[in-house]
Amino acid sequence: MSQQVQLDEKKDIHVDKEVLLEVRNLKKYYPVHAGFFKRKVGDVKAVDDISLTLKKGETFGLVGESGCGKSTAGRTILRLTESTDGQVIFDGKDITNLSGSLLREKRQDFQMVFQDPYASLNPKMMVGHLVDEPIRNYTNKSHKQLKTEVEELLERVGLRAEDYFKYPHEFSGGQRQRIGIARALALNPKLIVADEPVSALDVSIQSQVLNLLKELQGEFDLTYLFIAHDLSVVKHMSDRIGVMYLGHMVEVGDKDAIYKEPLHPYTQALTSAIPEPDPLIKKERIILEGDVPSPQNPPTGCVFHTRCPVAMPKCKEIIPQLKEVRPNQQVACLLYDKE
Amino acid sequence: MDPVSRQLHEEPTPPNLDANRKPIKRGQSQWMIARRRLLHNVPAMISIVFLFIVTVLSLSASILTDIDPARINPMLIDAKPSAEHWLGADNAGRDIVTMLLYGGRTSLLIGFSCTAIIIFLGTLIGTVSGFYGGKVDSILMRFTDFMMNFPFLVFVIVVKTIFIDTGVLALILVIGFLGWTGAARVVRSKVMSEKENEYILSAISIGTKPSKVMLKHLLPNVMSTIIVQATLLLASMIVVETGLSFIGFGVPPDVPSWGNMLQTARNPGTLSEKWWIWIPPGLAITFTILSINFIGEGFKDAFNPKSSK
Ligand SMILES: Nc1ncnc2c1ncn2[C@@H]1O[C@H](COP(=O)(O)OP(=O)(O)OP(=O)(O)O)[C@@H](O)[C@H]1O
Ligand SMILES: [Mg+2]
Repeated sequence: MSQQVQLDEKKDIHVDKEVLLEVRNLKKYYPVHAGFFKRKVGDVKAVDDISLTLKKGETFGLVGESGCGKSTAGRTILRLTESTDGQVIFDGKDITNLSGSLLREKRQDFQMVFQDPYASLNPKMMVGHLVDEPIRNYTNKSHKQLKTEVEELLERVGLRAEDYFKYPHEFSGGQRQRIGIARALALNPKLIVADEPVSALDVSIQSQVLNLLKELQGEFDLTYLFIAHDLSVVKHMSDRIGVMYLGHMVEVGDKDAIYKEPLHPYTQALTSAIPEPDPLIKKERIILEGDVPSPQNPPTGCVFHTRCPVAMPKCKEIIPQLKEVRPNQQVACLLYDKE
Repeated sequence: MDPVSRQLHEEPTPPNLDANRKPIKRGQSQWMIARRRLLHNVPAMISIVFLFIVTVLSLSASILTDIDPARINPMLIDAKPSAEHWLGADNAGRDIVTMLLYGGRTSLLIGFSCTAIIIFLGTLIGTVSGFYGGKVDSILMRFTDFMMNFPFLVFVIVVKTIFIDTGVLALILVIGFLGWTGAARVVRSKVMSEKENEYILSAISIGTKPSKVMLKHLLPNVMSTIIVQATLLLASMIVVETGLSFIGFGVPPDVPSWGNMLQTARNPGTLSEKWWIWIPPGLAITFTILSINFIGEGFKDAFNPKSSK
């Protein structure tokens, strides 16, 4: 793999040609207002300093419990929510401060598949118009052309051409998610952030939608940021995996490394919870004590120390940084600090 | 292997099929469903027909009667109902039927145009405020609060006292431009809850312009609230016209309106003995407002996904 590093003249960004998306120290804090005068009393630190890199064509799985900030991370990366701090570099361009029509122009290249198939389609719009809306936003195609394109897209995602005239409430969750996928695909994007695309669906339908996403990846040259709260779903989709806890990225690594040799105590607990199909292999399940602390009032030091089975006194004080402990495996944990 | 992985390995995507696919039927928008529900609502349909008839009669007043509503006929003062003057005449000798028809025209004109102005301004300000949030919202809402605390009735009365011969148009404009605050707040709160739905984020992410997001995505989804709000407003605007005219600060006295008709009856003698002067406009107002409220209820039920019909 040749890594061509070049310097972007304008922005002084080191661009790796293989890299499609680079997120640097991204933060998203939601202010909390309280009291009679609605004064700001604090922040919900939904995403607190995460960095990640996506190479072209790969799938990066982002895993973490409900409420750890996965959706917020996805939305902030795609500039659907304003970030508090940090940088997002997409295809060699810093998109962090783009706005208005410049940002709208760029949006063609990155799309999102949303978490809730029941809320992510406008209930008042016909499927045909839901799917042709992105195309109409960027081109002036004739009605006939649009219709043909939409029908092709619908068929490609496993729906029927005649579904064009139907409304979202006439479809099941799985079918709605397919409509959402067709809509994201319509602009032929480079990156798709799939925010728990199957967590709202029945298990039997989950695999169909996941397979569809996999097929489309090859066909349309897609790069995925695949969000899930469940390691077993992410396993089949991802090349690399990032594990989030309470707004922080605690471990990043190749899929196999994360599964076979997780380093962070939180990742170890997550992998131990995956059911082992072979009854002969006895796995010790690590049960985490206590609840996830509130992101408004996160613990000092390492955010995981309140639930960590191997916490040390210094974990309360020092915030661990992501460090490469093995090749292609980074972990943010003081256990691996050499000093 | 866990269930997900097993299926991933064994089942390829079946073409054109999801497990719980419903049988094919023609697409039906939520509007069509609401319309069907409304058509099955008997009180609402009767009310719509009634309001339609009242509107048509009022609009065709000049065809239906050739009596000049403003003509004061000394011969007919307090005339009782007769074959020639079905509902008699008032204390200025004006024919009651003619007055009712022309009065309906004024009252409905005021009702509909005030409602239109209020709904337009309220929707515009409420949608922009709720959609953008943040600074835009706090500026617009501060302005709305200011307008809301503005003593609107007192203002109308003061304007009327200073400019004694302000006409119907001035009344409509004053009510319309002062009365939108309630509508703006209702629309804003509905927009704020509606925009939490992911379809708004989805529209932004596919590159739809903010103006289009508001017009094509938000507006159709808050339209049911707006329509219900409009019917409530229409009824209360007719009451406002009646009330203002009744106390002498509404429609100029020489312009016939239902409120003015009640105003001329405002003395004990007329009330106790000359029923034909005040009962007809009273009934016209009552039934019109009642029917508008039935229509409003009908809309509310029709838009409610949980209603049984
Ligand atoms: N608009 C908002 N205002 C305030 N707080 C928010 C907002 N959106 C999200 N949060 C908070 O940020 C945190 C992260 O939320 P987020 O939706 O990103 O979690 P998630 O990992 O996607 O969870 P899930 O698996 O349930 O989708 C939560 O504590 C949530 O309450
Ligand atoms: Mg989420």
